[in-house]
Amino acid sequence: MSPLRRWLQQLREYEDIAEVGEIARRYFAMNAFDGILTMIGVLVGNYSAGVESARVVISTGLATSMAIGVSGLWGAYFTESAERKRDLDDLESYTLTDLNETKIGRASRAAAIVVSLVDGFAPFLAALVVLSPFFLTSLWGNIYHSYYLSLVVALGALFALGAFLGAISRENMALMGVKMIGAGLLAMVLGYLLRLVE
Amino acid sequence: MGKIRRLVLDVLKPHQPTIIEWARQLSDLEGIDAVNVNVYEIDQKVENVKVTVQGRDISYDRILEVIKENGGSLHSIDEVVGGALIIDESITLQDHLRTGS
Repeated sequence: MSPLRRWLQQLREYEDIAEVGEIARRYFAMNAFDGILTMIGVLVGNYSAGVESARVVISTGLATSMAIGVSGLWGAYFTESAERKRDLDDLESYTLTDLNETKIGRASRAAAIVVSLVDGFAPFLAALVVLSPFFLTSLWGNIYHSYYLSLVVALGALFALGAFLGAISRENMALMGVKMIGAGLLAMVLGYLLRLVE
Repeated sequence: MGKIRRLVLDVLKPHQPTIIEWARQLSDLEGIDAVNVNVYEIDQKVENVKVTVQGRDISYDRILEVIKENGGSLHSIDEVVGGALIIDESITLQDHLRTGS
């Protein structure tokens, strides 16, 4: 068996034991959603403040998305490790054996790593997608086009995320997509209202 | 050295990996021709299983490794058959007296 096949088989085994798939999917949806909404906040804030430099928007956006990514990575790793260690200890009290060096212990540790990677990269990548039009500002020359396009991309990403959740829950994908867009629109309106306060 | 042909073990194991996975791994071991993993009691987190393996030359140590690797704990060795043939236990007078048959 090739090393890659063996690795994939081991990953599948770990998935069966530690049920990584379901929790990773949940983290992915939850944190990609966070990433998109945070980026909407950054964009509306920059727009309201009249920032006209793509570089400034990109650097604030990237710094924010990296911070969300690091937060997801760290937070999920320690939370998941703690929860899974507790589960393992609990199981050990039944089997009266040390399960750390068994397949179950290794699956549990691998699950914490996989889940934290998903949790870290999902918001980071989602934020990058939303920010992508600003990298192309020189193509159309007008930063406001980048703002509008980014917001449209953000709403599109929210719709896709909603449709993804709809597919998981076997509900109406379009309806779930529209519900997610609602959150994006609310974030935009609230962010924009800040202008009135100033 | 004499060869072990059949082993019956009583094992406590977590629900995961499943007995399907256990049977697969045990039957992959060298010298084993047949495996039977039978659940006889289920608890909230663990289950008790009777593992029966039969073959030409069973390595007890390798079986123990599989059990430990999968988080199981061996409770007892309930039957061992060794030698050129596989024989079942003989029925004696005491067995008749015990069962009342």
